[in-house]
Amino acid sequence: MSAPVIEARALRKEFGGFVAVDDVTFEVGRGEIFGYLGANGAGKSTTIRMLCGLMAPSGGAATVAGHDVALAPMRVKGAIGYMSQRFSLYRDLDADHNLEFFGGIYGLSGKALTRAIERAIERTGLSAHRREVASSLPGGIRQRLALACALVHEPAIVFLDEPTAGVDPASRRDFWSLIRELARAGTTVFVTTHYMDEAEYCARIGLMVDGRLVALDTPRALKARYVPGTSLAISGRGLDGAMAEAAALPGVLAVEPFGARVHVRFREGALDEAAVRTIFSREGRVDRVEPVEASLEDVFLAVAGEGAKEAAA
Amino acid sequence: MRRFVVRVWALSAKEVRHVLRDPRSLYLALGMPVVMLLLFGYGVSFDLDRLPVAFVDHDHSAASRALRRRFTAGDDFVDVGELDADGAQAALVAGDAMAVIVIERGFERHRARGERATVQVLVDGSEANGATQLRAKAERMLALLGVDGAIRASGAGAPLEARTWTRFNPEGKSAVFLVPGITAYVLAIVAVLLTALTVAREWERGSMAQLFATPVGRLEIIVGKLLPYLAIGTLAVLLVLAVGMWVFDVPFRGSPAALALLSFLFLAGMLGQGLLISVITRSQMVATQAAALSSMLPSMLLSGFVFPIENMPQVLQWITVVIPARYFVEGLRGVLLRGNGLAELWPELLALSVFALVALGVSTARFQRTIA
Ligand SMILES: Nc1ncnc2c1ncn2[C@@H]1O[C@H](COP(=O)(O)OP(=O)(O)O)[C@@H](O)[C@H]1O
Ligand SMILES: [Mg+2]
Repeated sequence: MSAPVIEARALRKEFGGFVAVDDVTFEVGRGEIFGYLGANGAGKSTTIRMLCGLMAPSGGAATVAGHDVALAPMRVKGAIGYMSQRFSLYRDLDADHNLEFFGGIYGLSGKALTRAIERAIERTGLSAHRREVASSLPGGIRQRLALACALVHEPAIVFLDEPTAGVDPASRRDFWSLIRELARAGTTVFVTTHYMDEAEYCARIGLMVDGRLVALDTPRALKARYVPGTSLAISGRGLDGAMAEAAALPGVLAVEPFGARVHVRFREGALDEAAVRTIFSREGRVDRVEPVEASLEDVFLAVAGEGAKEAAA
Repeated sequence: MRRFVVRVWALSAKEVRHVLRDPRSLYLALGMPVVMLLLFGYGVSFDLDRLPVAFVDHDHSAASRALRRRFTAGDDFVDVGELDADGAQAALVAGDAMAVIVIERGFERHRARGERATVQVLVDGSEANGATQLRAKAERMLALLGVDGAIRASGAGAPLEARTWTRFNPEGKSAVFLVPGITAYVLAIVAVLLTALTVAREWERGSMAQLFATPVGRLEIIVGKLLPYLAIGTLAVLLVLAVGMWVFDVPFRGSPAALALLSFLFLAGMLGQGLLISVITRSQMVATQAAALSSMLPSMLLSGFVFPIENMPQVLQWITVVIPARYFVEGLRGVLLRGNGLAELWPELLALSVFALVALGVSTARFQRTIA
C-alpha cells in the first residue's frame, strides 16, 4: 500500500456512556476503494463523521489528507468530498444549480466553476438531467447528483455513506462502476454499505460489529479466513429434514439454509458430492447440486457470530 | 477574503433561487404590506366602544339635551359630562375625553325652522386609530339623529351638519399615522418569519449537515442567507412608503439617511430574531409559530402602532422598552412626520443597534457547527 491518506488510530466515539465507535484502527491508501461494512447501528456513519471533521472524536486520533481531524477540521473539509447517508441536496433546485452552489461553497467561481460543473456532470453521466429539479429525479440519478456535488471541487478523497441505500439493483451497479472509475483515476473512496454483495468491488473491507472493527482485509483473504473450504449448493424439495445428517458427514464444516437452497461447506479437499446427493435424496428430491463460491455474506455471518460469542463470553 | 465573497455569493444566489422557485414568500413580503396599508388606511379598524365624549352646550335647549342623551344612549359613546370651552380643551389634552361635541347657540331654533343646525365634533387625533373610528362613529350617529323622528318632530327635517375636526392631524388622514406602525408590523413579520423558515428548512432537510461538511464558516452561512432577506425587507419598506406617500399623502419631512439607518438596523434585528428562533427550534412548524407570535404581537400591540404607549399600564410600558418595533415606529414617525434627522433620532438608532447586535450575536453563538 502506498502512503496512507486516511489513518485512524484507536478512534473512539462515546455518546453518554454508550460506545458507538470502539477504538478502531485502520489505514487507507491513495486510490483505494475502502469498504466499511456493518449492520445498522454498527457505527459506520459515526466513524465517517469523525473522519470528515463533523464530530470530534472522544478518543484516539485520525488524519485525513495529512490533516488531523480534531485539530484542523476545516482543512479536512476542504480536502474531501462527503455524501451523507441522507439525501441532502436542495430538492427545489435543478442539477446545475445544486452543483453551482456546492462549487461556490468550495470557493470556485467564474470559468473554474463552469469547468468544474462540466466535469462533474460528465464524470457522473448526468448530462441528460442538468435542468431537472432534484426532487423529480429518480432515486438512482439523485444519488449520482449527490455524488457529483461531492466531487465538484475534485477532492482527492471522498466519503460516501451508504450511497446506494434504497436504490434499485441496476442503479446500484451503475453507481459502483462510477466508484471504480473514480478510484482508477486516483481518487480515494471510503464507502459504507450494508449490502454485502457490493463489498466485492472494494479493494479492502473493514467489518464493523457493535462499534468494533472485527475484521479488516481484502475480500478474498476474508473469505479464505472466515469461510474456508468449498461449498455445494443443493436445490430441490424437502431438503430441511436431512440437514442434521449432512452436518455429520466427514469433513463438513457447516450446513446452512440459503434462500430456497441449502449450502454444505466442506473442509478443503474433503468435498464429497455423491454423499450429499444420497443423503438429501433419501428425504426429499434433489434437482441440482453445484459448487458455490463463498460470499461476503457468509463472511459476515461467520464474523458476526464470532463477535456475538465473544460478547457473550 | 475572496473566498468569503465567493461563498457568501453562492449562498445568497441559492437563496434567491429558492425564493424565485416558490415566490409565496415574495408575495408575503411585498404584497402584504400594501394590502395592509390599504385596508387600515381606508378605515378597516379595530372596534372600540365606550369612547369618552364631553359636551359643550351653548344652546341649553330641549333639542340640545335630547341630542346629548341620544348620542350617548348606545354602547359607542360614554358621556363624561358637560364642560365649558376651556374645560373641554383641557379634557382633550388630558385624555379624559376622546372627543368634545360642541352644540352651538341657536341649535334648536335652526332645527325648528328647518335650517342647518350645526354641531362641532372635536377629536383627539394624536392616536390615529381611535380618532378614525371615533369620527366614523360620530358621523354615523349624527346622521342617524338627523333623521330621527323625535328630533325631526321639532324641526322640518333638515339634516344636522356635522363638522368634525381632528386636532394635531388636520387633514384627517389616518394613514399618515398608520404608515409607520404598519411598516414596523409588516417588516417584523416578513423578516422574522422568512428567516426562521429558510434556516429551519435547512436543518429539517439535512442540507445544514451537508453544509457543515464543507469548509464554509458559520458567519458565511449567516451573512449569505440573510443578505437576500435584507434586500427583500428593504424593498418592502420602500414599497410601503411609496404607497403611503402616493395614496395617502404621507409626508417625508426628515432625513433619508436616518430612514435608511433605521430600516437597516430594525431589519437586522428582526433577521437576528428569526435566525435565533430557527437555530433553537430547527423545525419549520415550530419556527413558523414562534416567529409569527414573537413578531406579530409585540410589533402590533406594544409598538405604539395600535395603542399609544403613554396610555398603557405601567408594566406594559416597561416591557415596550425591549421591543425594537417601538423604536422603529417612533423613529419613522420622527422622520416622516416631524422632520427629524440623525441628531434627534440617535436614541432610537442606538436602541435598535443594541437589539440587532444582541439578536445576531446570540444566534451566531448558538449556531454551533455540530450535527445533532
Ligand atoms: N448523535 C448521537 N447521539 C447518540 N447516539 C448516537 C448518535 N449518533 C449515533 N448514535 C448511536 O450510535 C450508534 C451507531 O450509529 P451510526 O454510526 O449511525 O451507525 P451506522 O451508520 O452503522 O448505522 C447507534 O446505536 C446510534 O443510535
Ligand atoms: Mg449510517
